[in-house]
Amino acid sequence: MTRFVSPLVLALIGILLFGDGAYIHAKAWLAQVLLQRAFDRSVATGEVVKPWSWADTWPVARIEVKRIGASAIVLEGTSGQALAFGPGHILQTADAGERGVAVYAGHRDTHFRFLRNVAIGDIIEITRRDGRQFRYRADASAIVRFDESGIDPTAQDFQLVLTTCWPFEAVTPGPERYVLHGVLIGVDKDE
Amino acid sequence: MDNYDAVDSNEHPWLGRLIVVGLFLLAQGIAVMLVAFVALLVSFEPGWSATTEQASLLQPRDARSGTLLLKEDGATIEAIRLGIDIDVTVSGPTLRARVTQVFRNPTKDWVEATYVYPLPTGGAVDTLKMVVGDRVIVGDIKERQQARVIYEEARRAGQKAALTEQERPNIFTNSVANIGPGETVLVQIEYQEPVQQSANEYSLRLPLVVGPRYNPAPIVQSVDFRNDGSGWGATTSDPVPDRNRISPPVLDPARNAPVNPTSITVRLKAGFALGEVKSPHHNVKIESPDSTTRIVTLSDGIVPADRDFELTWKPAAEKAPSVGLFREHVGDADYLLAFVTPPTTEQATQKPLPREVVFVIDNSGSMGGTSIVQAKASLTYALARLQPTDHFNVIRFDDTMDVLFPTSVPADGTHVREATSFVDALQARGGTEMVPAMRAALTDKLGDTSMVRQVVFLTDGAIGNEQQLFETITAMRGRSRVFMVGIGSAPNTYLMTRAAELGRGAFTHIGSVEQVEERMRGLFAKLENPAVTGLSVRFSEAKADVTPAIIPDVYRDEPLVLAAKLDKLAGSIEIKGRVGDRPWSVTLPLQSAAEGKGPSKLWAKRKIGDAEVARTIRELTPEQADKAILALALDHQIVTRLTSLVAVDKTPSRPEGEPLRLSELPINLPAGWDFEKVFGERPQVPDQLRERHADARNQPTARRPTPASPDAIRLPKTATSAELKMIAGLVLIVLALVLFVFNRRQTLLTDAA
Repeated sequence: MTRFVSPLVLALIGILLFGDGAYIHAKAWLAQVLLQRAFDRSVATGEVVKPWSWADTWPVARIEVKRIGASAIVLEGTSGQALAFGPGHILQTADAGERGVAVYAGHRDTHFRFLRNVAIGDIIEITRRDGRQFRYRADASAIVRFDESGIDPTAQDFQLVLTTCWPFEAVTPGPERYVLHGVLIGVDKDE
Repeated sequence: MDNYDAVDSNEHPWLGRLIVVGLFLLAQGIAVMLVAFVALLVSFEPGWSATTEQASLLQPRDARSGTLLLKEDGATIEAIRLGIDIDVTVSGPTLRARVTQVFRNPTKDWVEATYVYPLPTGGAVDTLKMVVGDRVIVGDIKERQQARVIYEEARRAGQKAALTEQERPNIFTNSVANIGPGETVLVQIEYQEPVQQSANEYSLRLPLVVGPRYNPAPIVQSVDFRNDGSGWGATTSDPVPDRNRISPPVLDPARNAPVNPTSITVRLKAGFALGEVKSPHHNVKIESPDSTTRIVTLSDGIVPADRDFELTWKPAAEKAPSVGLFREHVGDADYLLAFVTPPTTEQATQKPLPREVVFVIDNSGSMGGTSIVQAKASLTYALARLQPTDHFNVIRFDDTMDVLFPTSVPADGTHVREATSFVDALQARGGTEMVPAMRAALTDKLGDTSMVRQVVFLTDGAIGNEQQLFETITAMRGRSRVFMVGIGSAPNTYLMTRAAELGRGAFTHIGSVEQVEERMRGLFAKLENPAVTGLSVRFSEAKADVTPAIIPDVYRDEPLVLAAKLDKLAGSIEIKGRVGDRPWSVTLPLQSAAEGKGPSKLWAKRKIGDAEVARTIRELTPEQADKAILALALDHQIVTRLTSLVAVDKTPSRPEGEPLRLSELPINLPAGWDFEKVFGERPQVPDQLRERHADARNQPTARRPTPASPDAIRLPKTATSAELKMIAGLVLIVLALVLFVFNRRQTLLTDAA
């Protein structure tokens, strides 16, 4: 029977590894469900609602691209833990709908996977926690290094940046980021 | 082998052969997979650690690291190249310079290039031209935000555009959008500047590189209380709000060949017979077409932009003319530029007043290399020049500070010796927290009004929070006078001149060890001799708007430089003041003014400087000052803090859909600076990373020790290891299955045998 031990150990490690990877996806998916609820309550009550009691972050906005049916709830901050649950709003940047650049970052393999399908000209809708909705039009995309984003935080017009790791197909982390740029075109049109 | 023999004896011999082949293939497959998997781990593991380590290296300390944007495919990575040509024409008291920057794009991408470069503090930038092929597009002056918008629109529309913005009165940025693959775009700016004069010597400076600035951390908030004394105020959190705009990537000279080749031509028409003409920091070739004209070119042809170019000239006659008067008619107004050198009283007739001198020496990291040697030599010289009746103290600072004596002490042998050995032991390291040192120097502990109080500040001025320093000087100067000594190959001249102006002192510059004695002697002549004080100007007939509004005291051998806007060119100008305790006056008839080039621009530039000073000393509210500056700048087409020049080529050139890459052009470290002293240890680039980027030598490895900035947007890591883990997991499971099948087959075969 000893000859079955090594395949069993290998299989066990394989299952553990696979499970670990799958867990990341499951967590990302489950968190979005919980976040969706918390966000809806947040919009209804106008208060900060934590998705689960021990969470150290909270939903701040919903990003939707109707054309491709994509949607994600954005969290405050971009710590590693927060990004596992949803895209994050980079702290020093403006809120959606405010003067300046609102920057949201998400994982390329989970929440922001849809960015690859967003075409220039698509409408990106952002619903804030206070229920206000802003419509942006994607107008440019670029590939930059993470430390050379070229994003001007002092910009005076209303801009949006969605960013994720580049290239989408890669399996290892790298220094390059995909940056999708948008400009504000309308407020509260849908409601 | 027994097993297989057994199989062979089976009734299905072909099955056995098939199994053998299959097993062989499987075993090979497993081996390949194992090797592949190990290779995967080996090749990626350092890759991960390299990336993460790089991230942690950069993380909080770093506003914007110095890395050029590079193409992904390793073979053809090349950066934008820049060449600079400077052509200066000196006409008497003013000079006009044309700076041509050649941006060449050897890459296969469309690129946007930005280059941060210095210009003289007194220079009025009034022209921007962009040359694309055979088209010349002339830039317009616009409000800064508006110009930005025009540029951004052109950038997105794929049109070529150039934008000139002022970051500091002596730091500018040129951005050029949509440089096509293999294309070259020329950007040309022009500025007007007065010629500097001190004693018998005239000079011009062309700063060629921005020394990396120390930007203090925004950890401690400073508080702005309202002027009305209501006790309410606002906290301003960052002393250098625009830190990332003035911090271009810097190349480590030990690892990179110098970049940004520069050629310089100076056409010198002094207006008088010329004596000695020399360039202290560069080898030059000087031609003399006639006695009043010289043409100066670099004898090496081109030099890297890593130190300031300086040119000095003296008249052939014993003494330089003591008066100069130049006029220009623009629009419906006349502009006047006047140079008057007041007479010097002989030292013998004047008994110098006892002085209290506080020496402040900057021993921060940016002073490392030859700068600290110059600073120490200058200070040692100064200490030796002190009289026994004088009092003195020495302060040294980097990001810490030491005051040698609790209060100023008499300059007797013991104290001077103690100070000299203190100075000798100084080493350059650390940051540059200049404000506390200035505050300590301006604190008048002795309070002895029978002594003249002077602060001599030796620094390269490599800081980004100039405004804080100016505010400190304004608030605390009391009866002290501040004398700035600029050290090194590329000092921050804006900081020096403005600090000396606010501190009612003078500024001198020491560019090499050989200049120490000559320049310090000049400075001491100023320190020891009474200045011309109480200066006033009166026009007999014309209504005049004179700048500087508050005429500063003039030190020995310095000319008084006045610019004025007149409604008519009639009557005379009378300048009055006191030399020592004797009254002095001079009257110049306006009719004798010579036609000159540029007095109007220089007047406007000085007025703008006045408004900035008034803003610093709270004479004008920021809004009032900004309004005045904006009006002057738009009127006279000058680039300022609030106005930029922008040129757009209407023909779109970048096809839609082609991405545009941003390339921040790196600059050299100023000559004589020590890279490790400024940026700390050279970062250890992991070997793996270098292999992945074949061009590691092209990659500037500068790591700025600037603290975290709220300005810099760094994109977080947005990839999980999920996929990798799942792939690895699957590979292992398949492997396990294969092993399992293999083992089982063997067992079965054994059983069958």
